[in-house]
Amino acid sequence: MDFAKSDIQTMLLDSAERLLSPSAHIEYWREQRHTALGFEEARWAQFAELGWLALPAPEEAGGLSGSLEDIALLNIALGRALAIEPYASTAVLAAHILDGATDRDQGCALLGEIVSGSLRVALAHGEPGADPLAGSAAETVAKRSGDGFALDGHKAMVLDAGSATKLIVTARIEGEEGTGLFLVDADAAGVTVRPYPLIDGTRAADIDFTGVTLPASALIAGGNAGETLLEEAIARANIAQMAQAVGSMEACLKICGDYAKERKQFGVAIGSFQALQHILADMFIAAHQARSMLYHAIANSRRSAEECRAALSAARIVIGEAGQLVSRNGIQVHGGYGLTDEYAISHHFRRLMALEKQYGDLYAHTERFGEHVLA
Amino acid sequence: MDLSYDPALDAFRKEIRQFIADILPADMQARQRTKAANNAYVPDLLAWMRLLDQHGRAVPHWPVEHGGCDWTPQQLFVFNEELYAADAPEFDWGGTHMLGPVIYTFGSDFLKDKFLPMIREGATMWAQGFSEPGSGSDLASLRTAAELVGDKYIVNGQKIWTSGAAHADWGFFLVRTDKTVKPQRGISFLIIKMDTPGITVRQIPQINGEAHLCEVFLDNVEVPADQLIGESGMGWTYAKFLLEHERTTSSFIYWNKRELDRAKEIARSEMRGGRRIADDPAFRARFARAEADLLALEWSVLRVLAHEETDFPEAAAASVLKVRGSELQQEITMLQVDALGAKSLRYDEPTWDAPAASAEWPDYVAGRTTIALITRAATIYGGSKQVQKNILAKLAFGL
Repeated sequence: MDFAKSDIQTMLLDSAERLLSPSAHIEYWREQRHTALGFEEARWAQFAELGWLALPAPEEAGGLSGSLEDIALLNIALGRALAIEPYASTAVLAAHILDGATDRDQGCALLGEIVSGSLRVALAHGEPGADPLAGSAAETVAKRSGDGFALDGHKAMVLDAGSATKLIVTARIEGEEGTGLFLVDADAAGVTVRPYPLIDGTRAADIDFTGVTLPASALIAGGNAGETLLEEAIARANIAQMAQAVGSMEACLKICGDYAKERKQFGVAIGSFQALQHILADMFIAAHQARSMLYHAIANSRRSAEECRAALSAARIVIGEAGQLVSRNGIQVHGGYGLTDEYAISHHFRRLMALEKQYGDLYAHTERFGEHVLA
Repeated sequence: MDLSYDPALDAFRKEIRQFIADILPADMQARQRTKAANNAYVPDLLAWMRLLDQHGRAVPHWPVEHGGCDWTPQQLFVFNEELYAADAPEFDWGGTHMLGPVIYTFGSDFLKDKFLPMIREGATMWAQGFSEPGSGSDLASLRTAAELVGDKYIVNGQKIWTSGAAHADWGFFLVRTDKTVKPQRGISFLIIKMDTPGITVRQIPQINGEAHLCEVFLDNVEVPADQLIGESGMGWTYAKFLLEHERTTSSFIYWNKRELDRAKEIARSEMRGGRRIADDPAFRARFARAEADLLALEWSVLRVLAHEETDFPEAAAASVLKVRGSELQQEITMLQVDALGAKSLRYDEPTWDAPAASAEWPDYVAGRTTIALITRAATIYGGSKQVQKNILAKLAFGL
């Protein structure tokens, strides 16, 4: 166990500092709120140039085979700068599923496109009213027809769907065990995408699949292997998003500490008041524990599926609660200004709220971890 | 950064687990597990130190030349974790983890030769005489005075909250040797034999029926001058060293882990309204939160042990351990009490012999409330939670 950063990790963080710092401000977020994509295509190209999109991908697909620690450190930087690009969904989640494709050549070819920045892929998994932690599709079904499949179903709040040209859709294959993972073009006949923005400036969509005709090659993985691959990929996306939450919280500490020194009331800096100092101390404690728990989730990700799952939910609990404590108190420290779009703290609040509720919310993870703890 | 578990550590854990199983006497283990008191059973504690010392493992965290084992911080963590999980008697931390490191770092050869073996071999319990009636969180204002007369210090004053002073043969005290300088600069670190004429110890009856905390009155107590550690006026520095040397102790991580396991045992056994406490969704959520928070605390301890470089001073990370560790001690002991429900209200004399267990009163009942009550102290001693937050505001935010 080594907490010191490797040379590669230091380089990675330096590149993140250079690219992200100048754009970590509300003008960028505000501008992008009104664009079709939700972020700048040029910036995504820079993600590719800097090797960030290659980081999680295997070497044989032109990737860097980075460790989860590498991925987490980069995502802390992304979270600190409130990056709204679909890094977790494409470069982490979809890349892992493609890395496990039954047809290795097909998987590597698609991964190569992700690495170069020319392809974005979103996972269409959650369904209306379904268990957010379910490892299989609830109602979406693929029927074998001829050499291929016919796909029918509804997917709810598919993260980053609007900017993706391909989707990975989870479906039960009629009469078969496990979970089918299908690669579907976002503009294929029978696919209806209804996009909308989320409160944090990222995008999502509800998607209907009506008699979508797919070739046999659309099935990336199926059966129990498909279910395992899906769970692993979502776990990695969770690590990336938890890292972003940690980064966002650490940014809040900086923002609030600075504000407490600048803002004067009663003739003194508000940071001189003990009531405010203790709020800030609470925020520091929560953010510190959140980072510790990210480490726990990473360390356990290489253990058994059960240990990995438990560690992930435990981390989601601590990080979810910490994110709420930090961002809510962050607004309180800012007073009325904390509620304005002008101040960064309100953007972090929205981001941390979104991160707490994606891939299973605090309640779902608490319930699952409680079962594990008292099993 | 590479957070992989070291497989060698698993082998080490196995070896330690077997070592403890081989040498820990069954009666001692049973007493530690079922005692109705919070404080240690002194004969067991001292006998256990002797046993560990016979195997060269009484003070593994000390330098090798003084009896240490040259283990990594992670190995020390595993050693302590296994001791607690096995219900071994606890260390007299005042001696092994506070006084010992101060003596081998700052003490004269005379002090090293005389006291380090005593601590290692479990020859005595140690009283820690820091707090005074007027000096709690504001420790630097302490007034107990030591005046050098010839080759003796004459000590006058009063200490309070001196744990276990009634059972300790020796104590280490912070005393004022110079009233003319800044408060922190006039403090010295003195070892005093507790049966010296002029010392009166009065036990303080506590909220839980025990009387472990004491008042110590010092009236013209004569102390040989060679029992002063290091230099006169440096006591405050040594006390700060002592706290910084043991940054992770205040997390109570090993204790918290064992007690959460015990809370789970209670929740799996106790029935209410036809179902186990463990099956009650409200309890499950609390257990989930407590366990998750404890895992976070464990990793925060590992980060400090490894001296992880962060954007903040390490002392800030240490204050987090104190705040969260003490809060978790309270949450976990209250989880035990709440899982027991009204059963937790039965008062058992806080003794080391467990009351006879029965089907209705399993052996895990006695002692839980005794310990939960005194655990309210956890957020008060060693720098109260509020003082820790003042420190954090300064260290982490520069306020």
